[in-house]
Amino acid sequence: MTGYVIRRLAILPLTLFVVSFLTFTVARFGPGDPVTVAAGQVRDPEVLQRIREERGLDGSIVQQYQRWMGRALQGDFGESFIQRGFSVRELVVPKMLVSAQLNILAIFFVFAIGVPLGLLAAWFQGRWLDPFIISTLLFLSAIPVLVILPPIQWLLAVQFHIVPVGGWDGLISIYWIAGVIAIPIPDPHLYLPLLVMTVPGFSGVARLVRITALQVSREDYVRTARAKGLEESTVALRHVLPNAMLPVVTAIGLSLAGIVEGAYFTETLLGIPGIGAFTFESVRSRDYDVILATTLIVAFFFIVMNLLTDLAYARIDPRVRLGAGNRT
Amino acid sequence: MTAAAPAAPASEAPSIPAKGAVAHFWERLRKKKLAMLSLIVITTIYAGGILAPWIAPYPYSEQRIENALQGPSRQHLLGTDRLGRDMLSRSLYSARTTLVVSVAVLVSGSLVIGNGLGLIAGYRGGWVDAAIMRVGEVLSSLPGLPMLVLVNAALGPRVAEWGGWLDRATGIGLFKDFSSYLTVFMVLSLFFWVGTARYVRSLVLQLREREFILAAQALGASTPRILVYHLLPNIAFIVVLQVSATLGSVAGTEVALTWFGVGVQPPTPSFGAMIFEGSGARTFQSQPHLLLVPGLFVSSLLFAFALLGDAINDIIRDR
Amino acid sequence: MTGQKRILAALLGALAVLVLIIGGLSAVLLLSGGGGSDGGGTAAKGGPVDTKPASGRLRLAGSDPLTLDPALLTDAGSAEFVVEVFSGLMTISPDLKVVPDLAESYSVSDDGKTFTFKLRPNAVFHDGRAVEASDVKCSLDRAVSRQTASPTAPQFLNDIVGATDVMTGKATEIRGVEVVDKSTVKITIDQPRPYFLAKLTYTTAMVVDCKQVQQNPRNWTRNPNGTGPYRLAEWRVGERLVLEANPKFYLGAPKLQQVLYQFSGGSALTRFENNELDVAGISVNDIDRVRDKNSALGKLYTTTTEFSVSYLAFNAKLPPFDDANVRRAFGMAIDRQKVVDVTFNKMLPVATGILPPQLPGFTPTDKTFKFDPEGAKAALAASKYKNAAGLPPVTMTEIGGGASAGIDTQAYIEQWKQVLGVTVQIKQSDAATFFEDQHNGKLQMFNAGWVMDYPDPEDVLDLKFHSKSVLNDIGYSNPEADRLLEQARTERDPEKRLKTYQQVEQLLLQDGAWLPLYFGQRHQVVNASVKGWIEPPMVIPRLRFMSVER
Repeated sequence: MTGYVIRRLAILPLTLFVVSFLTFTVARFGPGDPVTVAAGQVRDPEVLQRIREERGLDGSIVQQYQRWMGRALQGDFGESFIQRGFSVRELVVPKMLVSAQLNILAIFFVFAIGVPLGLLAAWFQGRWLDPFIISTLLFLSAIPVLVILPPIQWLLAVQFHIVPVGGWDGLISIYWIAGVIAIPIPDPHLYLPLLVMTVPGFSGVARLVRITALQVSREDYVRTARAKGLEESTVALRHVLPNAMLPVVTAIGLSLAGIVEGAYFTETLLGIPGIGAFTFESVRSRDYDVILATTLIVAFFFIVMNLLTDLAYARIDPRVRLGAGNRT
Repeated sequence: MTAAAPAAPASEAPSIPAKGAVAHFWERLRKKKLAMLSLIVITTIYAGGILAPWIAPYPYSEQRIENALQGPSRQHLLGTDRLGRDMLSRSLYSARTTLVVSVAVLVSGSLVIGNGLGLIAGYRGGWVDAAIMRVGEVLSSLPGLPMLVLVNAALGPRVAEWGGWLDRATGIGLFKDFSSYLTVFMVLSLFFWVGTARYVRSLVLQLREREFILAAQALGASTPRILVYHLLPNIAFIVVLQVSATLGSVAGTEVALTWFGVGVQPPTPSFGAMIFEGSGARTFQSQPHLLLVPGLFVSSLLFAFALLGDAINDIIRDR
Repeated sequence: MTGQKRILAALLGALAVLVLIIGGLSAVLLLSGGGGSDGGGTAAKGGPVDTKPASGRLRLAGSDPLTLDPALLTDAGSAEFVVEVFSGLMTISPDLKVVPDLAESYSVSDDGKTFTFKLRPNAVFHDGRAVEASDVKCSLDRAVSRQTASPTAPQFLNDIVGATDVMTGKATEIRGVEVVDKSTVKITIDQPRPYFLAKLTYTTAMVVDCKQVQQNPRNWTRNPNGTGPYRLAEWRVGERLVLEANPKFYLGAPKLQQVLYQFSGGSALTRFENNELDVAGISVNDIDRVRDKNSALGKLYTTTTEFSVSYLAFNAKLPPFDDANVRRAFGMAIDRQKVVDVTFNKMLPVATGILPPQLPGFTPTDKTFKFDPEGAKAALAASKYKNAAGLPPVTMTEIGGGASAGIDTQAYIEQWKQVLGVTVQIKQSDAATFFEDQHNGKLQMFNAGWVMDYPDPEDVLDLKFHSKSVLNDIGYSNPEADRLLEQARTERDPEKRLKTYQQVEQLLLQDGAWLPLYFGQRHQVVNASVKGWIEPPMVIPRLRFMSVER
């Protein structure tokens, strides 16, 4: 096992290198470049060429890549072409933090609500509550974000003023009771995005848990437990639940792999300064250095999380042998 | 994104099906009322799309600016949009666009690549497995969205030209949209087959230790034979599930793609375009039908496919 | 594998889940730091900024400036901030006159080519240092230098003698800018151009602290030492920007103490109604509510016509628009008034020409093509293509996404089909692709807008239509127009000059070079506690003239 881990980690730098080169090339594949966008209506080719030189966009792709690589290895990921005066790191990191905060909270709620709901549905299998829960969850998660947000925004923010219509103000805000007592509450800006992000999520998790739990409860050792005369609840808690958690672990791993990615639609429609909206804007304005830095960070998390998930899976299900060849 | 849970857990896979499995399968499916309802919904919407040119009450681009933004009425069953175009007709043609996208997805080979590579990786193991998985990892670490936008910007015009030529040559006005979606999905599938592959691979990893495989190997069956005759049938139903899931996600994908500027151009309607016109909390406040009509269609499709997928899943589990 | 081991492994898994959750939560709490996220940008001085309504504080919506460097900006959004933080020799007053700013007075030589400016004795930078003639010179030298690579300097400063030499690297300073003494600067231009002072009001010519720029070329705009009525107090990218009054401002300390721009937060009107903003724009969804004079919002509603015009442009070098008759046919086939009335709910004035209202040279008569279907058909028949079937495929390009940009574009396309029988394809590009295709002359027909940079017709008629102008992106070449434009460049009699420009405008419109669609119109609601709210038709410094009293 250790050898396997070391081997996987060893190719991480190589993988990142390949990803960076590929992204570098692909980014320049599209028509236009940041100079075109920044210069807008200015057309003088001499001027544009001067700007290109000044910002290091001249020369062949390999030359440009070497320049970038040299700086990147020293920790300098360049400057944004579009938002002048700000380094890529200062723009990207805070936005990733915002998206990551939202994602962590969402993951927590998705599993904290989804797992019990799934178990509940499995418990009540055969009676009306099971298909009811499942159908409702399915229905809620079938509506795309773009369709569900405007009505919810209108209802909660515009009509009833329960939540602000958009924006971001950190995770905690202070609520004053009678102007005297201050209590920290979750910031109201969180309610809408979390609502939209968690509902489809815990629906999926609930269904997963339900199916797994039903599966497991048909296994031999569970029948044995029942035959021994244990109560259903004991059977559920001590036998079904632990085994049903296996795919959940995998699912958590998958979710964490995307923790630094932002949901573009949610962020844009709700005015949240996250990495999802920012990445797309950077592509639109061909802000190459930003695209590259974002991609590398995401790739890093993704690869590491995949490794962890594979390890967890192998640990839990010993029938799976990693890296082994055919037996014969 | 958060909580990407696979549709079915990667635990027990079914054993070899008996002959007449398809008929048996259909029998079971018919008994599930929800699944039948879903099938009816899906068929109705798709049929609407196919028959749109014949059953739509108005042409989708006909504008009567004086009639703009009306709610449902006798002349316009689903109301009119900002330019006075009939929402019902536009919806029917949007269903057509969704059909075109669905075909493009199926043809683009994403299913073939993902399932095929997953099969090979899971069964062969060793360096083949490692190579496939690592390459897949690299490819899927690439930023999909930016790439999509860039590839579309770069190749889009060229492809659109060919498509337009085909349109004019054959008189069927679908090739242009079809070819631009095909390009998009081919790019997507080339880079993002890893998800499917991993899933299939994990299934295969368990299956290959099962008795019937060991028996076949003991009897001296060659690898391709094992892959095709023994593994594939067991995977087949999972593949069916994936096809259903993929088709189901098409509607949602089309909406997202349209928002990113990839997709049909106006005045060809699509659900994505209609949703775009109706989005925004304040727009919803004044003209809710602009969002509700396409939203209802898309949600129904997604919901129906999800129910169908669940039903198929249940049938597979219960054998 | 016994059942026991299995359960054990599963419990381990559950434990892992628990750890993850707890770990995640603590990470979340740690990252949040107790409230308020940490955006990139200048550090806030003294705690988070208060956003409640208060006297002397104006709260506006907006979006981040792309840059605060006066020599590098090309968009109006950034200009709005830059004109408050920096200033130049001349500026535009709220009643649209070109007036001296950093300069106390100026004189023009008899041949009209030399301008001598006397700086105000009390002109200082934000840090208190006095503004001297050498600062003006080094700012201008810097603006045109190769390192700065300013995209706008060639357009706004090239009239100055020797400026082009610096831009092409042949010289390191501008010959035509001379420091006479500590408070006097002399600028010499190549020809007597009556609009030169107007051009000088643009941000490229504004004064910067050259030493600051030199010491910190990458980051100086984060804490700029400018000369304008406001300083940059805080800027969190994507979140907010705060301007604070500069008490040492040479024309008097501004009445408005603090201006808070909030960039995130969703619908401006909703925030306005929740008393989070003092001014909000009105969209077509809410215009009816706002037009009711008796409603609460109706009493706060104000509207202004802007110095901008949106238009359809034809590439005169690509068929079929190489034939003026085709351009005319397209122009006569669309009914702009109807689209404005119904689709835009009368929110935009239909353009009557290229020059917008209030611009010198504007005339109210409608010089554009009237909606005339028969005339359109006749014009098409008179062209070399004869009819719709003879035309090559026509594509109209615009910047956008969502497959639904330009509701009005879709209306026009339908009208072209109905009246002329021509099917026009729409192509939506993203900005980068659009500008590149435009530069390469690939676009047959596109939808664009032009915002005036200074109040003079030369800014649009000459810059966009003269055959040799670098900003002429439609390949338009009309020798008669060129001749008139060159004449107007040096015409010193203002009346005659304006008349010449009006002639050019008439010529261009008859020829179908552009199809002007509408003039820009801004609709806003303004909180009653804002006194003296100015909404000029173009970006000019205005914050210091207003006040907020609650």
